[in-house]
Amino acid sequence: MLDILEKLAKLVEAGKIDKNSPFPPALKGQDGADELTAQAVEMGINPQEILNDGLIKGMNTIGEKFSRGEAYIPNMLISAKAMNAAMVHLEPFFKGGNIQSKGTVILGTVQGDLHDIGKNLVALILQGAGWKIVDLGTDVTADKFIKAIHENQNALVGMSALLTTTMVNMEGILKTIRTNTPNTKVYIGGAPVSQAYADSIGADGYFADPFTFAKSI
Amino acid sequence: MIEYKRKNFKPDFENLLKIIERKIPDRPTLFEFAMNDRVIGKLSDMALDNTTDRLASFKRLIDAFQNAGYDYTTISGWRTNTLAFPKGDIKKKASHSLNDGNIITDWESYHGYSWPDAESGDYYLYEKLKDYLPEGMKIITSSNGGVLENVIDLVGFENLSMMTMLDDELTTNIFNAVGSRLLKFYEIVAPFDTVGACIVNDDWGFKNQTMFEPAMLRRWVFPWHKKIVEAVHQAGKKAILHSCGQVQAVMNDIIDDMGFDAKHSFEDQITPVEQALELWGDRIAILGGIDMDFLARKSPREIQQRSKQLLEFQLAKGGYALGSGNSIPDYIPDENYLAMISTVNLLY
Repeated sequence: MLDILEKLAKLVEAGKIDKNSPFPPALKGQDGADELTAQAVEMGINPQEILNDGLIKGMNTIGEKFSRGEAYIPNMLISAKAMNAAMVHLEPFFKGGNIQSKGTVILGTVQGDLHDIGKNLVALILQGAGWKIVDLGTDVTADKFIKAIHENQNALVGMSALLTTTMVNMEGILKTIRTNTPNTKVYIGGAPVSQAYADSIGADGYFADPFTFAKSI
Repeated sequence: MIEYKRKNFKPDFENLLKIIERKIPDRPTLFEFAMNDRVIGKLSDMALDNTTDRLASFKRLIDAFQNAGYDYTTISGWRTNTLAFPKGDIKKKASHSLNDGNIITDWESYHGYSWPDAESGDYYLYEKLKDYLPEGMKIITSSNGGVLENVIDLVGFENLSMMTMLDDELTTNIFNAVGSRLLKFYEIVAPFDTVGACIVNDDWGFKNQTMFEPAMLRRWVFPWHKKIVEAVHQAGKKAILHSCGQVQAVMNDIIDDMGFDAKHSFEDQITPVEQALELWGDRIAILGGIDMDFLARKSPREIQQRSKQLLEFQLAKGGYALGSGNSIPDYIPDENYLAMISTVNLLY
């Protein structure tokens, strides 16, 4: 049982989606995360163990490599695709309440900014770490954040910005969130953002990369 | 018009050439890739209203660059009708998504795409501006985006990420289709007498690392840049790379393999220009570098202090020209931009 989960973790890390996928070339023609997860379920392995010790472990490993600069965004994307192919087999257990998520994170790129690569990456890594994601997309106003917070009790919020000029919109959105739901934790990130800026506007944290964020919340 | 006058200024492209050759210029020297239309309008004496002169906008640009104290005028591809890759609709606000507007996602859309012909572009301006350029001034020209930028615009960043791993042949075909056309553009523009140097503008980095792993860039992107640099050099001109983001991992490729003469675009949160000068200043000329956030949010006095230190470096060691880390977009306050360029007057 341990062997199959170990192998599943490695397939997710490598981004081997299914048998037909040509990537990575060294595993061409071999079973991918899709087939191996189906086998694990058939073997009667606890779905929570498949998720934690197989899929999440694989995503964690690629995320750690990304944090160390040993993997790149495309590696993260294909690992997430492998995980998504595997998750299809675990969906019935989520619906049946056999698998618990860690909680909910609301993500959005702030008003005026349409950049989404960094935000999407944060979503992938948090999902891979077992969080439920509410992705509000780009150009998100304070009102949209507030609405999502009301619809997702106890959710955390992550805001992203690409530019100096849009970063400043974080302060206004944060103030509105503090006024409406003072206990909501709000984290910020993005190219121009720094810890000093997070401190200056009173955010609950700044993270330079998504994996550190996932490990810290 | 902005009330600004650079002391004793007569453009002399040789000054910038000295810097690109990592020598000490005869006087303080500036470099800027692009300026917003508000600044161009304020620096130029010319109005564009009711003109039938198809070169009017370029003449206005030349006026603005001369009045600001540059030895050249940049003419970027997006201002010309030379070569452009038709894109899908890209929503734009302060930024745009690298996933937006993609129109080539598979073999069918690749074959259905109307690939532009670089040779049928309108290169009239490069010949005709000879009569208008002030003595000593040259054009530094660039294409409408670089190899990777254009491929990302056509395919979408996340689609391209998957394509590089799942469809090797399609990825190769798209890069070749874009790269060969950009190479042709530079082969056409570099030999013009009016052109003093070429900028190749292609962003390769995010904040923490290159957008793709260096092996991918070395396989599909860099070979085209190497050919472009060779074409520019063959015409006897200098090749400048404008590339944003964290590119430290490929700096040796930029200098030793592709053979660029100068590197432009620096960010304080990635590699501050002062650090870039220490790391690579003895191997490649360093241009610009006053961080965009610094330029947008610091006081004119603070900007002038940093500019003065950089100009002092330039006049002592050479191989550096003062300018912004990227460009002068409209969110940079005019007084901050003027504080930077007017620093040259303190060192005359």
